Amino acid sequence: MRKLYVHQLPIRIWHWINAIGCVLLVLTGIQIRYVGLIDVLPFRTAVIYHDWIGAIIVGNFFVWLLSYMFSVRIRVYHPELDPIELFRGCVRQAIYYSYGIFKGAPNPFHLSRTRKFNPLQSLTYQIVMLLLLPIQCFTGILLWDLSRFSRVVDMLGGVRVVDTVHVGIFIIFVFYIPFHAYLGTLGRTPLEHYKAMFTGYEEVPEDQEAEKSA
Amino acid sequence: MAGQSTAGQHRHSSFTSTIATVVLALAFCAGFAASAPPPGDQQCLACHQSEALVKPLADGDSLSLHISGGEFAKSVHSAFGCKSCHRDIDPARHPASASIASKRDFSIERAKVCSGCHSEQYHQWERGVHAALVRAGNPVAPLCTSCHSPHAVMRGAAQAMDTVPCQTCHGAIFTAYASSIHGVLRAGGVTQAPLCFACHGAHDVKVASAGEGLRDACLSCHSEAIARHQTWLPNTTLHFQMISCPVCHAPKAQRTVDLVLYDSTSQADASMPMGVPEFENRSGANASGLGSAALFELLRKLNGSGASSKTSIRGHLDVRTGVEAHQLVPASMAISDCNTCHKTGADAFQSVTVSVAGPGGIPIRYDVNKNVLNSAFSIESISGFYAIGATRITLLDVLLILALLGGFGIPALHLIVRWLSKQPAKRDDNEQRQG
Ligand code: HEC
Ligand code: HEC
Ligand code: HEC
Ligand code: HEC
Ligand code: HEC
Ligand code: HEC
Ligand code: HEC
Ligand code: HEC
Repeated sequence: MRKLYVHQLPIRIWHWINAIGCVLLVLTGIQIRYVGLIDVLPFRTAVIYHDWIGAIIVGNFFVWLLSYMFSVRIRVYHPELDPIELFRGCVRQAIYYSYGIFKGAPNPFHLSRTRKFNPLQSLTYQIVMLLLLPIQCFTGILLWDLSRFSRVVDMLGGVRVVDTVHVGIFIIFVFYIPFHAYLGTLGRTPLEHYKAMFTGYEEVPEDQEAEKSA
Repeated sequence: MAGQSTAGQHRHSSFTSTIATVVLALAFCAGFAASAPPPGDQQCLACHQSEALVKPLADGDSLSLHISGGEFAKSVHSAFGCKSCHRDIDPARHPASASIASKRDFSIERAKVCSGCHSEQYHQWERGVHAALVRAGNPVAPLCTSCHSPHAVMRGAAQAMDTVPCQTCHGAIFTAYASSIHGVLRAGGVTQAPLCFACHGAHDVKVASAGEGLRDACLSCHSEAIARHQTWLPNTTLHFQMISCPVCHAPKAQRTVDLVLYDSTSQADASMPMGVPEFENRSGANASGLGSAALFELLRKLNGSGASSKTSIRGHLDVRTGVEAHQLVPASMAISDCNTCHKTGADAFQSVTVSVAGPGGIPIRYDVNKNVLNSAFSIESISGFYAIGATRITLLDVLLILALLGGFGIPALHLIVRWLSKQPAKRDDNEQRQG
């Protein structure tokens, strides 16, 4: 076993703020949308929390964006530039999760300093971080002060459209977050990846290291 | 003054003549209320004081020609005499029995005389909703003389609570007003509290719900209101834009969503379409109302090829009736609980109407099926209206449940299958690694 430093400190801080923030946004979001059905927080309080947490997540998103833009790390998201190869990788990874894993087959993906994510991860994270989260932040900002942004909102087709997009992505997150948390437990031990997300070090078997340097 | 030069003398005489003019004008304006009416008036009154004097009209009705000399003497116009308004009457040839079609025609014709001295009020009135109604043939909409009895215009009568002219026609609203916060204060002598005309205007009365409604009138006195609400109401400007003040300040009122056609190009309420088939043959009492498909279709027609601007529908939260709009209560009793509106089944969203301009621009409200607010169609048709919690699209709720089931269910299933399929050998392997 060898320790490989893969998660830099800023990224770890960003990740946990983002994780806690998104979960809280989903929870306050559910409260805001389902007053009467769920009454944990008063509506007004939920709105105020949701607004503040949202602001933090927006800021946090830019921290992430900048830290990746000004470092080579962005490459970890698309080390495979050939879409066909990426697609193959994804299929391989999906087959592993839905079949191989039950048979005790080895994970087709091997972590390395430049390959932090398996193809499936890399694809989902790109969709989440470069598409869903930015749109969610944008629509969230619009909904935060509709009268101030009324021109943009009208241009987009009205508050209903903006809100429906916001709720649509919220629904995707509701689906995605538990999935993401569960996939995180599929390391060699259930807590391995979680620990790594705190310490920064992932454990890599020696033989795989050798494979990589070969 | 006597010792002054001739040049000064000259100035002096022009000065006195100016004074004389001013005094005359003032006297004219002051109305000589105390002095005797011009002699010609006695002549007219000699006949017209008689209560028996009645003129039959062409439409079968009859016009009482009785004028109370006593009342007229007390009125602001008494100094000007009958002739100032009845210039057309030539005593030498009077009475000439010219035919009069109806009381209304006579009044409309006669009221024009007021414009000669009160052109400002006359022009304001001409721009208002009442005049528009008169032009549209409404038989009761007020002329000058409906609000100011021409032979008995008493000073200050129109501004006083018990003689305010509006109450003769809008009696129910007056009753509601009289027990509202403003009415009670006004009756108690607080003249800063508004009577009808302070909110609506006396002459340039506008359709109450047009544009921003009466919000700006309220804010002109309650200029601190926005700041006060901002201390507890998130997005105050948006709330004030979408909700009329009585919605919260008349808490007993039935609230309703009024859909308004909105012109996105000019950013103003669109002039409402007349004779749109969707609205024909529909009475306000229609039980189910227009459906979401009909609204969708209506918009499609309005924005069809050749349309110069983009029309969308905006919702506006209002109280159901004009009477309820006046039942304002003290601020401590106003609605402050967000849940009143921001939840499914909130009463405000149980009644939905769409307004179309009727005669005079007064909106006619048509019932709309309340389900339009939760229909997926609404993304397109009511794109400009959304109230968190209350107007959720049902389809999205279904998707959320599926997402919850999938998001937690699939990993759970996966975990179970993994656990079941885990071979003993693999388990040992794991234990070794952990050790
Ligand atoms: C000799 C009595 C008499 C005197 C004086 C008199 N009126 Fe009349 N007036 C009548 C009668 C009678 C009628 C009804 C005529 C008819 O039936 O057509 C009438 C009708 C009218 C009408 C109704 C409209 C119309 O044109 O028919 C007005 C207005 C009116 N008078 C104003 C005046 C004024 C102003 C004076 C004073 C300058 C005056 N009258 C003096 C007897 C009189
Ligand atoms: C401020 C203007 C004004 C003055 C002053 C005035 N009138 Fe009139 N008079 C009117 C108008 C306007 C009407 C039409 C009222 C209506 O709509 O029925 C009218 C109507 C009448 C009528 C028809 C009956 C009725 O009430 O409609 C008579 C008669 C009449 N006036 C007589 C007089 C006499 C007599 C005097 C003087 C004592 C007088 N008026 C002064 C404006 C005036
Ligand atoms: C000959 C000019 C003249 C005509 C015509 C005239 N008015 Fe006046 N009116 C005046 C003057 C001058 C005053 C101001 C009197 C004062 O303030 O003492 C006045 C005052 C008023 C007032 C104010 C009363 C108050 O509360 O102070 C009203 C209301 C009014 N007129 C209505 C009418 C109506 C309605 C008509 C038409 C039927 C009319 N006037 C026709 C000259 C006229
Ligand atoms: C719907 C009722 C109504 C009608 C119609 C109406 N008035 Fe008035 N008028 C009022 C009221 C109420 C006031 C007192 C308003 C105030 O004090 O601000 C008033 C005040 C006035 C005054 C006093 C000056 C002022 O502006 O306060 C004059 C003059 C006047 N009206 C003339 C007219 C004339 C001329 C017409 C016809 C063009 C007319 N009014 C039509 C209700 C009416
Ligand atoms: C002579 C009768 C009469 C008098 C007096 C009168 N109105 Fe009206 N008013 C009407 C009629 C008729 C309508 C048409 C709508 C209706 O039937 O309610 C109307 C409509 C209105 C409207 C528009 C209604 C809407 O749907 O937005 C307002 C606002 C209004 N009046 C305010 C006033 C005020 C304020 C006064 C007093 C200054 C007043 N009215 C005096 C007869 C009157
Ligand atoms: C404090 C301001 C205020 C005062 C005072 C006031 N109103 Fe109103 N009025 C309103 C508001 C607000 C509405 C509803 C506007 C809307 O529909 O958005 C309204 C609506 C109306 C309407 C239209 C009703 C309908 O059926 O849509 C009439 C008519 C009216 N008022 C007459 C009066 C009369 C008459 C008085 C005096 C007794 C009066 N108002 C006093 C604020 C006021
Ligand atoms: C002509 C000025 C004026 C207009 C216009 C006016 N108000 Fe008022 N309002 C007052 C005055 C004066 C008081 C009593 C003093 C106070 O509490 O501020 C009052 C009191 C109130 C109160 C009670 C405040 C409390 O502390 O309990 C409310 C609520 C209110 N107004 C709402 C409205 C609304 C809503 C409108 C418009 C539809 C409106 N006002 C239009 C002058 C006005
Ligand atoms: C969402 C509901 C809501 C709406 C919409 C609303 N108000 Fe209020 N308003 C309240 C409540 C609740 C209070 C009492 C707040 C408090 O106790 O501090 C209040 C307080 C007030 C007061 C008294 C403020 C003071 O001095 O303490 C005035 C005046 C007032 N509102 C006017 C208006 C006017 C004018 C409008 C429309 C432009 C309006 N409100 C719209 C809920 C509302």
